[in-house]
Amino acid sequence: MPYQARPTCDSYFVDSHEERARAVREEEREHERYFKRQTQKTIGQNLSEMDSEAYGADILSHMEKMEIETLPDVASIEIQTEIQWYMRPYLLDFLIEAHTAFALLPETFFLTINLLDRYCSKRIVYKRHYQLVGSAALLIAAKYGDRKERVPTIRELKCMCCNLYDDEMFTQMEWHVLQTLGWNIGHPTIDSFLQLALENVMYDPEVEHMTRYISEMALFHKDFVSKRPSDMARASLALARCILERPQALSSDWAAQYDPQTLLILSQQLHQPSQVLSRKYSTSQVCRVSMKLEDFLAVQASINRRHVPPPTPPAEKPVSHQSYQPITPVKQPYLPSAPNGTMTPPITPNTDAYYVGGQACMPNGLPPTPVSIGSQPPQNQYDSHYYRLPPINQLPSMI
Amino acid sequence: MAQPNHANYHHAYTTYDPDETPRPPRPKRFKDDKLNHIADQLVAPTDVFNQYAAPQHPQHQPPTQQHRYPTNIAYNKQQYQQQYQHQYQQQAHQFPFTSSQPSGTLPSPKAIMDKRHPSSFQQLEKLGEGTYATVFKGRNRQTGELVALKEIHLDSEEGTPSTAIREISLMKELKHENIVSLHDVIHTDNKLMLVFEYMDKDLKKFMDSRGSGGQLDYLTIKSFMYQLLHGIAFCHENRVLHRDLKPQNLLINNKGQLKLADFGLARAFGIPVNTFSNEVVTLWYRAPDVLLGSRTYNTSIDIWSAGCIMAEMYTGRPLFPGTTNEDQLQKIFRLMGTPSERSWPGITAFPEYKPGWHVYATQDLRMILPTVEPAALDLLGRCLQLRPEMRVGAQEATDHAWFRDLNVGRAQPQQQQQQQHTQAQQIGQGMVGSQGQMPMGQQQQGMGMTAGGYGMPAYQ
Repeated sequence: MPYQARPTCDSYFVDSHEERARAVREEEREHERYFKRQTQKTIGQNLSEMDSEAYGADILSHMEKMEIETLPDVASIEIQTEIQWYMRPYLLDFLIEAHTAFALLPETFFLTINLLDRYCSKRIVYKRHYQLVGSAALLIAAKYGDRKERVPTIRELKCMCCNLYDDEMFTQMEWHVLQTLGWNIGHPTIDSFLQLALENVMYDPEVEHMTRYISEMALFHKDFVSKRPSDMARASLALARCILERPQALSSDWAAQYDPQTLLILSQQLHQPSQVLSRKYSTSQVCRVSMKLEDFLAVQASINRRHVPPPTPPAEKPVSHQSYQPITPVKQPYLPSAPNGTMTPPITPNTDAYYVGGQACMPNGLPPTPVSIGSQPPQNQYDSHYYRLPPINQLPSMI
Repeated sequence: MAQPNHANYHHAYTTYDPDETPRPPRPKRFKDDKLNHIADQLVAPTDVFNQYAAPQHPQHQPPTQQHRYPTNIAYNKQQYQQQYQHQYQQQAHQFPFTSSQPSGTLPSPKAIMDKRHPSSFQQLEKLGEGTYATVFKGRNRQTGELVALKEIHLDSEEGTPSTAIREISLMKELKHENIVSLHDVIHTDNKLMLVFEYMDKDLKKFMDSRGSGGQLDYLTIKSFMYQLLHGIAFCHENRVLHRDLKPQNLLINNKGQLKLADFGLARAFGIPVNTFSNEVVTLWYRAPDVLLGSRTYNTSIDIWSAGCIMAEMYTGRPLFPGTTNEDQLQKIFRLMGTPSERSWPGITAFPEYKPGWHVYATQDLRMILPTVEPAALDLLGRCLQLRPEMRVGAQEATDHAWFRDLNVGRAQPQQQQQQQHTQAQQIGQGMVGSQGQMPMGQQQQGMGMTAGGYGMPAYQ
């Protein structure tokens, strides 16, 4: 009925005319909105510049004071009896996934790891509570820096931990972390120093994401746990610029005062990033920096191969290693029904036999395989030589 | 030889009763006071450990640091436990997942001695109530010292509120004479108790308690504004935005000191300044750019609030008592003039900009504050700028000409003493500046507002 009631021919043209007009109006409005957003952005930038002019020096010196006060102590973490360095990447992978799932600020992740490490340098942490401490640190960091709507609820966190811990355990651990750290949460993160270094530079998202990628990679290594975030930020930034072939900061800049030693060690850690981390940095929103880094490393390797005559047998992976592959300690498929698709690191193994004599053995009851460090296949990314530096002559040629 | 020593030991212990007599001052160990201060901080106070330790000589100091765990893995556990028994017990008490003390019983004397237990404070009258906390006056049972106890109810569902985490961690960073100091944080099953230094009144009550309709005399205003701007400058230098400045959050003690309190909405900002929530600051003290929906505000929002507070101290009434966001903007424009794209480039880009505002002309501040001296009006005008980029910085404002006589008083203590002497003769019930504070708080007894001009306080 309504179709018949409608006038036929005229309305067709009128409608199309109106539609076109509406589309034009819509476009205009969209343009206007975009223009307004840009204007707001400019106003915000001006205000920010005013603040940095008036307080920049004070704030930097305050941040440098705070970073020393809130530095974890790697020697204290070293003497933890239950938690071991090989567990760290598993926990960090979990935290990266949680952090991404809740869409928290980049800064929150750095703060989380700082809180975690500071707690671990002050208290004995049981293996079965390591993930709980990490989750509590994430919760505190999100509450400190993120918008209220973004802060994860305890139910969500509990879900992510596969109901391993009760609700009260989260609140109690949160409280205990806060008390242990004396409520000093205002740690200036690598990210905040990075923002500061990039303040007066033209916006270049690629450099920014690459720097974050490199410094998050560094969080996995114990060599950088007690390094000052300002050093880390400057060294990562310099390395990122080097990789992306961007001009370095002017020598008068704060950003140019990086420690070459830190830069050198950083550059040695680029080869086996955590798969979770490289996946995080492979999306187009972050300029696919993990792929760019891979390409860069491949080019570097080919240059190296050209310069150094290949040894006999060739430097390629020996075939015999293939047979080891099935029995490498891989990330345990833990509760496949995990909600939100996140994996839980096997922090609470079912049997004590999981960890025997400093070597991870197979889950699912396979006997431990004695693997010497030299013959380990590269697929095993969290093995012990992951923390060992390669000899100097294997450095990428760019350094 | 040993006998008298032994007797002496007991004597020394029994005469020292923390409840009765105040702790004897620590002997000075260094010539430099700074070093003494550092040493005092390094050494843990004995009373924390008293409840665990056997009677000991008051001079004896327990180990300085909280021992974490043995660095040598192969240690004799029993021996270690004996040696550090008190610390062991304390750690067990603090560590989660251990059974807590049975609740519902009277606190033991030990609990009262424990500095970290809520019953070591006697709760007195209620001082105020906020959205997420209640503040009580309290007394430390051990020392008799008055404190302010801020009780935050804990939501068992979500743990510690983010406001509390921000407030406590920021206040720990901000140690300044114009910022209320946080002594301690005490946690019980369902509430969090923050122990603050006690301040006598907030600025709102202070103004109400004055006879003349809440108005303050201009020397008090000058001193309060100077201290307020100093406190704000310190926050901003340490990359903290207060975001809730209002008379209720400025505390006054009977020495005439003003301190910023309630950092529940405060947060740290970075450089460049990031975007924030625009639901901050109590409506009456909210800056126009925030009212217009800006999320990229900067330190200038605290300056606007300071300007509103300054005008309120002169008149005794809030400057812009709006009822809604719209009404608030109306009231501001009525005084400051309705902004246009010409007077404020970019204003049309703000989310809450409405083209149909009634157009008001800019009024002279002298019209509403006729008795105020020109220098004060100049500062007020610099704070109350519609455009955030035009507002004065807090550090810059403390150097304003209006405060010059206060600074002169500081630089020449002799002159200040003389001034204070004459004040003491003049003032009956007024407050007297102390601790290097500027002279302030003189009652308006027989001297006209205009008598002083600016630059020199008028005593005669």
